[in-house]
Amino acid sequence: MKNENQILLQTKELKKYFSGKKGLFNLHPPVVKAVDDINLTIHKGETLGLVGESGCGKSTLGRTILNLIPKTSGQILYEGQDIGDYSKKQMWEMRRKMQIIFQDPYSSLNPRMTVYDLVSAPLEVYGIGSHEERREMVISILQDVGLDKQYLNRFPHEFSGGQRQRIGIARALILNPEFVVCDEAVSALDVSVRAQVLNLMKKMQAKRNLTYLFISHDLSVVRHVSDRVAVMYLGSVVEVAEKKELYGHPIHPYTKALLSAIPIPDANRKRHRIILEGDVPSAYNPPSGCKFHTRCPYATERCSQEIPKLRDVGSGHLVACHLEG
Amino acid sequence: MKKKENESYLSEVISKLTEHKMAMAGLFVLVLEVILVVLLPYILHLNPYDSDYTAFAQAPSKAHILGTDAIGRDILSRLIYGGRTSLLVGLLSTLISCLIGVPLGLIAGYFRGKAEVAIMRVADIFMSFPSIVLILVLVSVLGPSVWSVTIVIGVLGWTQFARLIYANVLSVSEKEYVESARAIGTSNFKIITKYIMPNSFAPILIAITFQMASAILTESSLSFLGMGVQPPGASWGNMLYDAQSITVLSQRLWMWMPPGIALLITVLSINFLGDGIRDALDPKIKV
Repeated sequence: MKNENQILLQTKELKKYFSGKKGLFNLHPPVVKAVDDINLTIHKGETLGLVGESGCGKSTLGRTILNLIPKTSGQILYEGQDIGDYSKKQMWEMRRKMQIIFQDPYSSLNPRMTVYDLVSAPLEVYGIGSHEERREMVISILQDVGLDKQYLNRFPHEFSGGQRQRIGIARALILNPEFVVCDEAVSALDVSVRAQVLNLMKKMQAKRNLTYLFISHDLSVVRHVSDRVAVMYLGSVVEVAEKKELYGHPIHPYTKALLSAIPIPDANRKRHRIILEGDVPSAYNPPSGCKFHTRCPYATERCSQEIPKLRDVGSGHLVACHLEG
Repeated sequence: MKKKENESYLSEVISKLTEHKMAMAGLFVLVLEVILVVLLPYILHLNPYDSDYTAFAQAPSKAHILGTDAIGRDILSRLIYGGRTSLLVGLLSTLISCLIGVPLGLIAGYFRGKAEVAIMRVADIFMSFPSIVLILVLVSVLGPSVWSVTIVIGVLGWTQFARLIYANVLSVSEKEYVESARAIGTSNFKIITKYIMPNSFAPILIAITFQMASAILTESSLSFLGMGVQPPGASWGNMLYDAQSITVLSQRLWMWMPPGIALLITVLSINFLGDGIRDALDPKIKV
């Protein structure tokens, strides 16, 4: 099912900067480099996990890739086509292929629409099927995500978080997309429901041959679902590798520190925690050179001056660190 | 279809509203008032315009239940016809304000950018004029009549609605369900009508009630000053015009008490109803 060679989506030097409004009293508005020069490759049929602490630009990257917020510069290549330059009409066509599942199942569903209206909305937008056909499609996808058709005329507030997320998944998948961004899709759910929804997402992936960009701050969840994992720090990707490789042999000091924070469910085993010094620097004014150098225990002179490039250190393991060479 | 969407939410709001005693009392009074001013002229023989030459400025009697005014017109008839005018002006001018203000507020809040600056700054300019002076000037330019008063009050009232809905749209637009609508390729028009409007309309309902009360009061003030509804036409305001004379004010209570009380009750009822709607729409308040 997995096809290593077929690239579905690629970002090239993708940047998304947010700046304050320039005005009479604000000649030099501060700029936040939420997504700073990111090169990522996503293969057809895989799940790419994207981890990083809150505020590092994970969600912004996901939304920029979907063109929900316009990029600042760089390229977003979907099957070789730069969708960042698409016209409104082309982008509208494109949206059928790329969907998003949101974090908060409470705010991502319009409280004034019924389940049927919510799930059939994409069909309506693209004028797919007659009234009866739509009904059939909605019922069948609800069945797929584990919701009974008796719920069709209910409103979102009548459901639990897990059920709402199922509605969100049904809505995202009803157009048969190829690529789905899961933006912290299970973070708001409690642990017992989380596993169910994750398994549902995996099932749907197998059934519909989906490609996922799975954004999460939860390392265990990412480990569970991903084929490959990318680690982000302050708007930059610092390490990308196969799941086993990354969790087994992390190279970047930041990844090492992150992984050492995963709790081990075994009272007798001691884990070796790497405690990072200081706070995450402000995104308004990120450090020069390697953004991690202010907190890195191994930082050298070079790290504070030169921005490390993402390099292949063997078998598709990419790292952006001067120390590894 | 449209109705069904809001069914459960609406029924919840309505049940909360029915439990709100003051609001229900207000609604009852208003409905009664509307029925009275609409139907009474068909039932009773009312003549608000002609003078009874046998009874000038007469206290309530059998022939004239609420008495007559200085030129012998029946106060009850004028009260009923005046009610028609006052309620009509309140309703129509609020409708005009709403029709101008809501779309502009939606556009400013949803599209932001230049539209926002243009619309909201114009609203600021409108609001920085002392409204009663502006209304007086405009009415005297247009010539005082029921219609000019309605239009001027209506047009000048748009800022209330525009600002209110603008503020709401700003917060609703940030909701994830709006982004999700965008992610499935929904057009801007549909996002506004199906996602933004239903979720930001609650405060508009409240604003409508308060705007109506204030429009009725403004019309009355104008008529009281002689710039509103012109005689022989009747409105509660121009009935109060007579009370400008100190003799009337101190000795002929029947001339100004009925329209004054009618105004008071109407405005109070509308405000109670508005309060009730506000409480009913707020999910945090349990009535």
